[in-house]
Amino acid sequence: MSMRSKISSAAGNGDADYAQLQSRVQSLSSLIEVSMIISSTLKLDEVINLVMEKAQTVMRAEASSVMLINEETGMLECEVALGEKGSEAKEKITLALGEGVAGWCAQKGEPVIVPDTRTDPRFAKKFDEETGFQTRSILAVPLIVKDRIIGVAEVINPIEGQSFTDDDLNLFMTFGRQVALAIENARMHESIVEKQRIEQQLEAARTIQESFLPQQCPVCPNNRFQIAAKSIPATAIGGDFYDFFEFDEDTLGVLMGDVAGKGIPAALYMARLVSDFRQQAQVTRDPEKTLVTINDLLVERGRRGMFVTLQYAVLDIPSGCLKMTTAGHLPVVRVRGDGGGCEMLTSEGGAPLGVLPNLHFSTDIITMEPGDYLVYFTDGIIEAKNKKGEQYSFERVTSFLDKKWRRAEEIVDGLIRDIDRFSRDTAQHDDITVVALQWNKPA
Amino acid sequence: MLEVSTHPVGNAVVVKITGDVDLYSSPEVRKTIIGLTKNKEKNILIDLSQVAYMDSSGVATLVEGLQQVGRYKGTLKLFGLDAAVREVFELSRLDKVFEIYTTEAEALETIAK
Repeated sequence: MSMRSKISSAAGNGDADYAQLQSRVQSLSSLIEVSMIISSTLKLDEVINLVMEKAQTVMRAEASSVMLINEETGMLECEVALGEKGSEAKEKITLALGEGVAGWCAQKGEPVIVPDTRTDPRFAKKFDEETGFQTRSILAVPLIVKDRIIGVAEVINPIEGQSFTDDDLNLFMTFGRQVALAIENARMHESIVEKQRIEQQLEAARTIQESFLPQQCPVCPNNRFQIAAKSIPATAIGGDFYDFFEFDEDTLGVLMGDVAGKGIPAALYMARLVSDFRQQAQVTRDPEKTLVTINDLLVERGRRGMFVTLQYAVLDIPSGCLKMTTAGHLPVVRVRGDGGGCEMLTSEGGAPLGVLPNLHFSTDIITMEPGDYLVYFTDGIIEAKNKKGEQYSFERVTSFLDKKWRRAEEIVDGLIRDIDRFSRDTAQHDDITVVALQWNKPA
Repeated sequence: MLEVSTHPVGNAVVVKITGDVDLYSSPEVRKTIIGLTKNKEKNILIDLSQVAYMDSSGVATLVEGLQQVGRYKGTLKLFGLDAAVREVFELSRLDKVFEIYTTEAEALETIAK
């Protein structure tokens, strides 16, 4: 019967109807209170407790409980239990789907009134036996969120009368919907808070990782070389890195690499590798020896299939002579300073570091012409994709670089801008890192 | 759908992988390979003839297997790579760290009797 018809009949029909109407009004105001409770707190325990306290009062029941399905175990676990033996029940009640009245309700997704537990085979006696509570009658409703059953709410033993009524059932179903909504809100809030916490941690990790990259590129006082570098990670943290070693005023080391994988493991691997490299660069200037030692270090602590590809070169600044070795990394592109073309410096080098021990690496000697650039990059550049799924590719890199440039910085910024244009409206899949080095003749 | 099965051949265990090996399916491959390396399986041959696509997480899984067998002086060899999968190994120069063979018979021949 609708509220309007109740009011009209109450106007003409005696105290009983009036009492019923009053009870309805009370129920309605409780539901409004419940809505207010739900919007006042996002703590799961707190909100369910408050809603069930209200439900128990309005339903005039001795006890109540909310059980939620544990998604990992598939079992119904007691989240809130109110009433005389509430705290004991909360600890002890765990039901499989289909077990007991609550388990039946969760499995079928239907509300149920059990007027007399003694005659209902679904009733599980063990909890009364364990807690000493006496369950006479139960009203259980499923908690449903977006067509998914997430648990069951129950009120137990009406204070007046033997059993709950159909009116009680209708009212309690409304409570059930409110409880389900409150749980959903609180869970969403928890997942947002958790997501924010993870994002903050990633941000902190990214800052720490960035601190391992050079804060600025070396500057040569007499302009014998120029360096520019930029790295744009795909996720919050990536595995690309570069570093420079100013051995003395005549010798410069240039390192670029890419740790396989992304995220925190790749960042930690990279941070440790960069610090190992800095240490090893103090022991020897020989690129090959450096790579052999670093490889053995990485193999020794190799875990979870992590490895690294890198390019390492040591430049003799007065002569423009470069000793270069590679460990499975992409070739370096040499761009002629006079605009006379560009070429890929493919070298034999060796395998990526960190997989097999006792590797050897060959060294190539490159003599730069005054004004020549060397451009280092990682595979995020080659593999950047456009909307059609085409890759940026080596060919695009060399054709873009094939012109006369004024500064190393212009190359780095220009190449990154070109890739940006190429892969517009697509997600960046991998880190993008470019380093450009120009060598000049003595003034 | 990825399938991973193992069977003994001579004094090696062949791990046959069928399907794409990517971020979602590579844990299944890892479980099998790491299971074998935990038992210190001396010779592991990975049959990639039914793999059309492998991403970097798949490669990392095989690298991890190679790292693990290296600890107890075992071997892990690959065979049956199609062109696309071979290219993944060649691009990262991992063809230099893995022993790669065309057929199972060729791979078996290289294992000491």
